[in-house]
Amino acid sequence: MMIKLLAVIERDLKKFRRNPIVLAMSILMPVIYLVILGNSFQGKLTDLPVALVNQDTGPFAKRLVENLMAIQAGPRTFRLVDLTDQQKAVNGVRAGLYKAALIIPEDFSKRMTVAGRPDLGLFLDNTDSISADNIRNLILAAAASLGVDYVPIREVTNQPLLRDINLYPKVDYYQSLVPGVVIMAIFLGTLTTGAFNLVMDRFLGIDESYLLTPLTKADIVSGLIISGLGITMMNAGLVFAVSLLITGIPISRGILNFVPLFIIVALTTLCLLSLMFAILGRIKHPRIVGVLSGFLNVILFFPSGSVYPIASFPGWLKGFAAINPEAYAVDALKSVLFKGAGMMGVIGDIGFLVLFTAVMMTLSIITFKRTL
Amino acid sequence: MQNDKAITVSQITKKFGAVTAVDGIDFEVPRGEFFGFLGPNGAGKTTLIRMLTTILKPTSGQAIVSGFDVAKAPGEVRKHIGVVPQASTSDLDLTGRENMDLYGRFYGIKASERKQRIKTLLDTVGLAQRADDLVATYSGGMRRRLEIARVLVHSPALLFLDEPTIGLDPQSRRVVWDFLRKLTENAVMTIFLTTHYMDEAESLCGRVAIIDTGKIIALGSPAELKANIPGNDIITLALGKAAPPDIVEAVEKLPFAHKIKPEEGGEIRVYVDNGPKDLPALIDAVRAAGGEITSASVHEQSLEDVFIHYTGKSIREEEAKKVSFFIGAGLPQRLGR
Repeated sequence: MMIKLLAVIERDLKKFRRNPIVLAMSILMPVIYLVILGNSFQGKLTDLPVALVNQDTGPFAKRLVENLMAIQAGPRTFRLVDLTDQQKAVNGVRAGLYKAALIIPEDFSKRMTVAGRPDLGLFLDNTDSISADNIRNLILAAAASLGVDYVPIREVTNQPLLRDINLYPKVDYYQSLVPGVVIMAIFLGTLTTGAFNLVMDRFLGIDESYLLTPLTKADIVSGLIISGLGITMMNAGLVFAVSLLITGIPISRGILNFVPLFIIVALTTLCLLSLMFAILGRIKHPRIVGVLSGFLNVILFFPSGSVYPIASFPGWLKGFAAINPEAYAVDALKSVLFKGAGMMGVIGDIGFLVLFTAVMMTLSIITFKRTL
Repeated sequence: MQNDKAITVSQITKKFGAVTAVDGIDFEVPRGEFFGFLGPNGAGKTTLIRMLTTILKPTSGQAIVSGFDVAKAPGEVRKHIGVVPQASTSDLDLTGRENMDLYGRFYGIKASERKQRIKTLLDTVGLAQRADDLVATYSGGMRRRLEIARVLVHSPALLFLDEPTIGLDPQSRRVVWDFLRKLTENAVMTIFLTTHYMDEAESLCGRVAIIDTGKIIALGSPAELKANIPGNDIITLALGKAAPPDIVEAVEKLPFAHKIKPEEGGEIRVYVDNGPKDLPALIDAVRAAGGEITSASVHEQSLEDVFIHYTGKSIREEEAKKVSFFIGAGLPQRLGR
């Protein structure tokens, strides 16, 4: 009977409404994630201290140092510190004073002119591999042009010219995180609604009184899923809108593609709700949900392709991504939001989400017990 | 299936792993009876009530409640009964009225009827003033009254109460008792109540079953049960130290002493015909045997004495349900259903 199902849903919504702080947090948190993620991966390196020991007085060493000074003045990736003692420079790197020490040996210019291979010594703090790679590449670039005496006026015609054509409007890294953040908002929503209410009722011992009424298994499961769907989608929608605003993706794109976006968000929510139901169906203590939440978030979110492309994963992780619903959800959202794909363009992703939901739903009905 | 029995239980058993919580119990409760299950914590009362109210599956045996088999038609059983579980089960984030309204809807009662009935019930249990406050602000006694009112929303003819006054102060207990008595006066209502308070069973129940370690050890009205014990009164003598055998022997020789039971801590309980009349002779006999009496008391037999008579021990706390050390309390303790 409808009246029973509606009662279960209304109970949930009422309880949710009485905790407005939870609502505020579940919207605020994903947005903070977006800001932190966006700024912790894409930022430029600046002012890395690099010790320079120039033992050569020749012209090429001078030119190299000029090149390096140009980088210091321009992109400011590193800051040069002039030293005379090679040993002191290397020890400085060891002590963490410098990220690298560049040694220009006294025969550097001489070797350049006699076409003997010139050497440069670069001592790198390779424990910080991202900084080390950056410094290494910049110094290579600075040294590469040393042998070239003039800049050709005419273009070299016997080399292929690469013309890259962007198929889609430009997407910066910040914007590319939006689908991931929306999925994260959905994840957080499904974690604190749906099956979590079951766990809380069990923990508080009030599940017994519901089990004692004529509510059927279907009333309980579908009631919790429907209320969870409503609450989570509302959160996800708000997070979506805020993310579009702060990353500068035109809101019109969200409105134009409203139908496919709505369907993807709804399906992802159902998918994760049923996954949580299957996992939490018999859990009695909220602490276990707490322990699981961090774990599930990491194993679902990071291999979803929302932070870094799935193509970069090793085989086993690609295998995992292939059954990770968040990966399909992120792919579908990216296709719609950045490539303007319609429903047909994401039909594969949607198919997977539907299948995953069906499997998990079956599993949760099997695991959920109507008895104590 | 209409008959005059509200509950018929035959050979019902529940095992949790190696532990048998309820062990082959048989009994019947006719319609309109106030039936009590008396026993210490851990005796199997809650397990039994959970089986009768369909939220625990019996390992074996059968129970017919309100005309339906609890294992075969649990949904039908649930429609016809009202259950107040032992633990507090009100939703703290909702008001008293909302809690009741939800229940009414779970039973599919129409809005207008629900509203009227909830109002009446809240008045009856004295919660009308606080009906729109969150249950989180209620005292323990108020929550219990709300829970009793709540299970009456769908007017069940059979009510299960699992230790309804546990943890309540004496005043709240009395309020609950009066309310339960009123229920049975006004309508044909069968009440099945478990308790480990002797006075509760004695003052409320028409018939009482005494349960210990999963078995019924005595069944009858409080008066019948008491009649099974020899004598009418009990004299308790405190001797200050463990009773020497010669004192016990001397007391046994007295014609009016039916049974004598030395207890720990130097007390002896003597079952006699007429306490006030027999006390002086008893004291003389103990003194003559060299015993020193520090205090003496006479009381009428109660169900507690019945319990002690049948089990040889007083009501006490039993070991609680086991939780795996490795798994902890939050996870299922074993696979399967």
